[in-house]
Amino acid sequence: MRALVIYCHPKEGSFNAGIRDLVLEKLYESGAEVRLTDLYKRDFNPILPECELDIYLDCPKNQQPVEADVADLRWADTLVFVYPTWWYGLPAMLKGWLDRVLLPDVAFLMPDAENSDIRRGLTHITRLAAFTTCGASWGLTQMMGAPGKRTIMRGVRSICSTRCRTAFAAHYLMDSSTEASRGAHLQKVAAKMDRFVDQGRENLRTAQA
Amino acid sequence: MSRALVLFAHPCHESFSASLHQTVVERLDRAGWDIDNCDLNAEGFSPVLTAEERRAYHDEEQNIEPVRAYVERLEAADALILVFPVWNFGYPAILKGFLDRVFLPGVSFRIEGGKLRPNLTNIKRLAAVTTYGGTRTRAYFAGDPPRKCVTRAIRYVCQPEKMRYLALYDMNRASQAKRAAFLARVAREMEAF
Repeated sequence: MRALVIYCHPKEGSFNAGIRDLVLEKLYESGAEVRLTDLYKRDFNPILPECELDIYLDCPKNQQPVEADVADLRWADTLVFVYPTWWYGLPAMLKGWLDRVLLPDVAFLMPDAENSDIRRGLTHITRLAAFTTCGASWGLTQMMGAPGKRTIMRGVRSICSTRCRTAFAAHYLMDSSTEASRGAHLQKVAAKMDRFVDQGRENLRTAQA
Repeated sequence: MSRALVLFAHPCHESFSASLHQTVVERLDRAGWDIDNCDLNAEGFSPVLTAEERRAYHDEEQNIEPVRAYVERLEAADALILVFPVWNFGYPAILKGFLDRVFLPGVSFRIEGGKLRPNLTNIKRLAAVTTYGGTRTRAYFAGDPPRKCVTRAIRYVCQPEKMRYLALYDMNRASQAKRAAFLARVAREMEAF
């Protein structure tokens, strides 16, 4: 398993950083190869500028400005997003990563003479997970249509492998969270990650051996 | 005279989005609106909420300082019109960052007795003018996040009397005629806005 973890939070020491560390630990435990990209730390520029739009459909030239990110994406078979939900959606920094890196010929194939619709480009991604925190309650988030969750779990999911395994967990009402609620959430993330990397089966295999 | 804030989020002046933007501005002007034309890319808006801003996010005295000018423009508006392309199932980052950084607690919403209350009720007209590369079905199966964000989340904090979500889907294959028809529709809607 080759996992690319895309992490997006401005403050080191945040609860999201704790979730990130737990995710990394679970991935390492499972024996996965891991690459981490910390968008704020890299000072990633989320703006897709005019010069990149000019070459947007010009493959593979369109990949040059974000070569390293494209290489990571092509290397991975597993994507894990860790981010806070702001305004019911992804932080602009993370949305910009999607805008600039999920390009034609990388993440999707544009319609052509033989194909009338957009096709999947991330068919090598067989595992997709998102772990987030929301200021809003679960109810309010659902009422608003959970745009952030859907961007990843439906949008990005729709261009991954058809048999992609998924995991999602959110800590709601983050601003009134307690030590207990955060602890319980970390346990939930740990359990989801175990299933996600199939740790149960791994443990069984080790025990049998 | 009523004031309309037009937020535009496409970097290319020759794009179809730019034509939509131009139509919106012209028709609103013709209808007698006083227009605050905000081209986020041209103004060099930074969409990144910084660590400092995150720390002060809930401090309603402090939080608006880094974006005070934008908050004032938002609060002076009677109408808000968003003109943007949909990229990868959502807004361009530059517009998402406007929500992250400017639609702050105490600006777009306030918390009263633990409940969220709308705070941008000065905005009585709300519209989005947008284009999707994929089909409506494709957007529907992804849950159409940008549509939901406008027609639910932004609508909630503004409580406008009138709202329009004008979208052209399937742009990748849209014919000249289809695009022209959409431009005409946007023109009509804006004149009647």
